Amino acid sequence: MQKYLLRRGLFALGTVIGVSLIVFVVLRILPGDPLVALLGVEGHAKMTPADRAVIMKDLGFSDSLPVQYGRWLRDIASGQLGKSFFRGDTVRDLILHRGPLSAEIALLALVISWLVGLPVGILSAVRPNGWADAITRFLSILFIAIPGFWLSMLLVLALLFWFGYKAPILVVQVWENPWQNLQIILGPAIVLGLAQGAYIARMSRSCLLEVIREDYVRTARAKGAVERAVVLRHALPNALLPVITISGVLLGFVLGGSVAVEQAFGVPGLGRALVTAIIERDIIVVQNLVLLYALIFVAVNALVDLSYAWLDPRIRYQ
Amino acid sequence: MADPVPHKARKSPVSRRSFLKTLGVASATVGAAPAFLRGRADAQDFHLKAVDPAAKAGGTLRFGILNAPAHFDVHQSGTIANLGPQAPMYDLLIRRDPRDGNTIIPDLAYKWEVAPDGKKYTFHLRKGVKFHDGAEMTSADMKATYDRIVRPPKGVVIPRSSLFTAVGEIVTPDPYTIEFRLTEPRPRAFMLGAFASGWNIVVRKKTLDDNQGNLRQVMNFPGTGPFRHVSRKDKEVWIQERNPNYWNKGLPYLDKLEIYNLPPFSPELGSSFLSGKVDYARIMDPVSWRKAKEMPGVTATAMNQSVIQAYYFNMKRKPFADPRVRRALHLATDRHVLVDVVKDTAPMQVGGFVYPFHEWSTPKAEMEKRLGYQKDPKAAIQEAKKLMAAAGYGQGLKNLDFVVRDIATFKLWAVAIQAMLKENLNVETNLRVVQTSQWFDEAAAGNFDLAISAVVSSLMDPSDYFTAWYGKNGPQNYSGWTNEEFHSLAHNLEREVDENKRKAMIPRAEAIMENDPPLVPVAWEQIYDAFYNRVHGQNATKFFGIYDVTRWDTVWMS
Repeated sequence: MQKYLLRRGLFALGTVIGVSLIVFVVLRILPGDPLVALLGVEGHAKMTPADRAVIMKDLGFSDSLPVQYGRWLRDIASGQLGKSFFRGDTVRDLILHRGPLSAEIALLALVISWLVGLPVGILSAVRPNGWADAITRFLSILFIAIPGFWLSMLLVLALLFWFGYKAPILVVQVWENPWQNLQIILGPAIVLGLAQGAYIARMSRSCLLEVIREDYVRTARAKGAVERAVVLRHALPNALLPVITISGVLLGFVLGGSVAVEQAFGVPGLGRALVTAIIERDIIVVQNLVLLYALIFVAVNALVDLSYAWLDPRIRYQ
Repeated sequence: MADPVPHKARKSPVSRRSFLKTLGVASATVGAAPAFLRGRADAQDFHLKAVDPAAKAGGTLRFGILNAPAHFDVHQSGTIANLGPQAPMYDLLIRRDPRDGNTIIPDLAYKWEVAPDGKKYTFHLRKGVKFHDGAEMTSADMKATYDRIVRPPKGVVIPRSSLFTAVGEIVTPDPYTIEFRLTEPRPRAFMLGAFASGWNIVVRKKTLDDNQGNLRQVMNFPGTGPFRHVSRKDKEVWIQERNPNYWNKGLPYLDKLEIYNLPPFSPELGSSFLSGKVDYARIMDPVSWRKAKEMPGVTATAMNQSVIQAYYFNMKRKPFADPRVRRALHLATDRHVLVDVVKDTAPMQVGGFVYPFHEWSTPKAEMEKRLGYQKDPKAAIQEAKKLMAAAGYGQGLKNLDFVVRDIATFKLWAVAIQAMLKENLNVETNLRVVQTSQWFDEAAAGNFDLAISAVVSSLMDPSDYFTAWYGKNGPQNYSGWTNEEFHSLAHNLEREVDENKRKAMIPRAEAIMENDPPLVPVAWEQIYDAFYNRVHGQNATKFFGIYDVTRWDTVWMS
């Protein structure tokens, strides 16, 4: 187990370092001048080469790439993660302020996806090809196909024009005002959760259909166990492994999807901060947020792998 | 000198025309005390008040505007993301009257004189004005502010420096007087307009010294304005409170300002206003604005913005060196359709090369008779085809690289322009959508045939943008256009102090550009505001742009 963890940790570290290098280099070779966002269109037009040299030096962008990369690693080690290219706010403060909202959205979306996806999948599997199966399959495909951004816009407009309602504009943390906080995160979590739930429903249906035909399920039925117990206690746990795997992958999609959905709902989370930073070409913020997303993705996948042994005692790590 | 009118005497807002006439008359009384000050004990008595005598103090204004500045240095900025949240904390040397958006009135200078030769502007500063940190404002602060604006240190880029190129020396004979000595005369309206620009906030000399002249990362530097900083959450809200020591006694009326970051034309801004989360929304999208207009208890206003939307030619590339080709494209562009194409995205109006609402430009009715501006484009297209044939491009052009900024309006327009050029002149373009930062790289490097964007000016006075947009090597002359006749005219316009002579030059300038276009004007921007009727004291219908009047000092809540 320890060897496995060590190997897994090293693999994760390599992945994160690889991501950091790619992000660092790509952001510096992409076309486009970040000083447009800093100085504005008019200021940029009037900037002289001497001004540019001074500004780039002030911002630390006249140093060689290895020096800049080393400085970033130092900033990560210090926990500050560097400062915004423009205003000088630390990226750590940005993450601490906005991160909880995005984390809540991701977790709530995960919960919603399981609460919706699993019962739907079970319902479809135990009555395959019936009317309930047809409806749930249709809805699953629909929610997989609908872009989250578009659904978000519809929800925002419907709430506004039918009920004159809009969620709070500012960040409200759950410990400050749980009700207002819930109003901010609920919409994005539902949109993301339904899309994930559709995947989970389809995966759990197919896995359960497979498991239900296994010998041990037939044995359970032969022993006289009631159908609910057969499905929930004997078949379902064994059908869950692929569902958990896909949940880990989907959490990554939630992180990616939250960028667009937060933007549509106007939720001031990390996804929106990333969009703004990309538009502004705030390189320092972008590189740190992308790295954070990569770290979360790697960590979630490692946790999913570790959870297999807990769910299936036959699995041992070597 | 400018003749500020005390609020009690003003029965109707002063138009730009009457203001300019006043300037002309006032120039004959240079050196004398302004009319409204004569017979009064202390010229410093000029104080601003709300027009409505029922104006009352108190309340919080929740204002929705772009509030995500890339930095905090207002002088170096060109975006409302700075002035929107920061202007209420600062004062200017002189200012535009917030009640009509136009008349120039005293601010930290309570009076001023202009030398008969137009080469010296003397401003007398108020005594006892305090910065928010308690220090007194003196001419040293004013000089430090203007030294920086006129001649910024290296690494500090101030877009308005070009307005003050004639300023040779700034002198402070005493702590409450400042003189601007010009190397050559400039039109009075131009200079006073430049001084009254909302961007030229007055900052402490010590602040500049302490920060080596660069305030980009200094969030809360002291001003003398009606509101003081309380707190700020990045890209969320900037909260300010009433400055109890404000020199203009009785102002501001509001106790508190909450300035929310709600981007222009965004659904967020519209939905925040429609759901009542903000009291005042600026730069609304047309759909939300129209909805707001139908709401009871809401006022929706429109004003002219200081922005032209245009597409540029790369004059270094062969077909566009020929003015006939450029004029042909200009004539084949149906502006009425283009304004309609974006009517749900951003409010626009048709215009030529000069601000269409400026009193010196060709009147709208006359303009609509001109080729290229007629509602029926047939005649313009016929003329365009003839020009293309005469230039040797009767068969059209192929594979033009059309660089488009990744902004909704530009993308909509680019598609429409592409279709117009193909259909009318058989000119085929390949659209290349790029991020804003890349657009300027491409434009500067000349990597385009056509490129669509927008540019802003500080003043409505043509001498500002004739230099920046159309001037030889002008910073925003992305086409690289040159026309010696025009440049000579612009040079004279900038130095002519007789307003009538200046006005007479504008039709000539327009005619030159119609025949030898430096760009193709697509549309001129407007701004949509909406506010609940509990907000009073803001008249956002006659403003020119949103940059000079965003201080909220005369605004009150019922």
